[in-house]
Amino acid sequence: MIAAKSSFLKKAFDKDRVGYLFILPSCLIILVFSILPLLASFIIGLTDLDIFLATPNFVGLSNFQRSFADARVWNAFANTFSYVLLTVPIQLIIALVLAYWLYRPTWFNKMCRSVFYAPVLCSFTAIGIMFNLLLNSTVGYIPYVISLFTGRVDALLSDVRYAMPIIVFISIWKSFGKTMIILVAGISDIPATLYEASAIDGANRTRQFFHITLPNLLPTINFTLLTSLIGAFQVFDVVYVTTGGGPLNSTETMVQYIYYRGFSMPYELGYASSMAVELFFVIAVLVLAFKCILERKIKNIY
Amino acid sequence: MKRITVSKTMQVILCLLILFLIVFPFAWLLVSTFKLQKDIIKWPPTFWPKHWTFKNYSAVFERIPLAKYILNTVIFAGFVSLFSSFFDSVAGYAFARLDFKGKNVIFNIVLLTMLVPFQIVMIPLYIELNLMGILNTFVGLILPRITSAYGIFFMRSFFTGLPKELQEAARIDGMGEFGIFAKIMLPLCKPAFITFFIFCLTSNWNDLIYPLMMTSSTAMRTLPAGLAIFVGEGVRETGPALAGALISMLPLLILYCAAQKYFVEGIAVSGMKG
Repeated sequence: MIAAKSSFLKKAFDKDRVGYLFILPSCLIILVFSILPLLASFIIGLTDLDIFLATPNFVGLSNFQRSFADARVWNAFANTFSYVLLTVPIQLIIALVLAYWLYRPTWFNKMCRSVFYAPVLCSFTAIGIMFNLLLNSTVGYIPYVISLFTGRVDALLSDVRYAMPIIVFISIWKSFGKTMIILVAGISDIPATLYEASAIDGANRTRQFFHITLPNLLPTINFTLLTSLIGAFQVFDVVYVTTGGGPLNSTETMVQYIYYRGFSMPYELGYASSMAVELFFVIAVLVLAFKCILERKIKNIY
Repeated sequence: MKRITVSKTMQVILCLLILFLIVFPFAWLLVSTFKLQKDIIKWPPTFWPKHWTFKNYSAVFERIPLAKYILNTVIFAGFVSLFSSFFDSVAGYAFARLDFKGKNVIFNIVLLTMLVPFQIVMIPLYIELNLMGILNTFVGLILPRITSAYGIFFMRSFFTGLPKELQEAARIDGMGEFGIFAKIMLPLCKPAFITFFIFCLTSNWNDLIYPLMMTSSTAMRTLPAGLAIFVGEGVRETGPALAGALISMLPLLILYCAAQKYFVEGIAVSGMKG
């Protein structure tokens, strides 16, 4: 009896600490290669460090003051926000509707899902090469097809009006399949009995979607929304391989501008880092607020 | 009854339209890699080439060490995904199913690192790898990536969905925590493990800026980085660039055809079902 009790205590003691061993390798890597560089970035933001890394001076908050007066920073923030506000909801809605249409494992549905996922597997470098030529105003197939209807050839990626919507299109084109697959898995997990019960009560597909699918899917939607929100704020590749931020900075996002400041003349790593810190805080505050709201909503439903 | 048929037809038509939107650029790319340069840049553009040629493929292998790029990408993406899937499931399991002090605080910090764009840490990271002397090596490329906050988040969500009874039953049977993880949880999470492995493989295979910054020699470049440099040099020959783009896509697409079910099944499978 006593022996059983002491071994139980020992186990409990083990059980309360063994978790640290499980997370140790991952936390060590994250600490050394994410958190440490992040903190270093805060410090670099307070200096006038350049790419040659020679004797940086401490300049206090002057980089931050400078950025508030920099019109290109506001422009880049505005572009980033419009990208996020367009991409995230449109992609989620498309993925959600398609997931609901295609979650049953019929031949046609499976084929659609397989094809929709294919662009997720391609690099933006490759997709950029592909779309740059397809959209090119002198040799591209898409401007040609449009010109058959409108009678004139529009420059697409080099037009201020169309550049951002096209970038939004390309990134949704590339990644809605991923969101869809995750949502299909979520929908398949909802017990079929719920649908059967509501069908007996006379609910149609649309009512079932809003009263059964959507509430039960909320944790999954929460997950995908959060990750796509974070990803959208960090948008870089798609702009880099298509417009490069142009025309007239109309598609220049925050990360784009940071990269431009840090890695082209005059290589102001200090100033770039201070803007990176600002972006980080904007994302952190928005995402955490978003997470709180979502979690409260889920609690209210159950 | 009729209304349902109409909406079903609409669904199929819309799905076919999206299918076309996805397939057409790929089909166009595939056909264009067999075009002569003058057929690629003529107006009005035509879908089918006048003359079929394989020259673009031989040209891209001549211009850049494409085979070396492929090998480098396999080593980099393969090892990163293998390590990351393992360490992330270990940590994700602990965050989901073990109790220890400060768990939520640590998890929230891990989650916060997900918010950090790579572009913010890349300068200090570059300096760090340089100080460690592992810049432009496979160790330097792979080590910072052998765990990912996203992976921990993903695996934690998976383990949270597993029934608690499994773990409790094993504990009553006198199994240690490592035993429970290795003998019960790890086999159960095989689908999620493979799914995340493939997620991870995809993102690292396609990553551009990280390998671009952390490698400096041509012999260390990965496919996207090498290809981006090739295109960025202002090469006027579009044919080889298109062929290169297609070749860089193929390995993952082929793997996808072979292991497709893990993309769909992996996420939904939970312990009690099997």
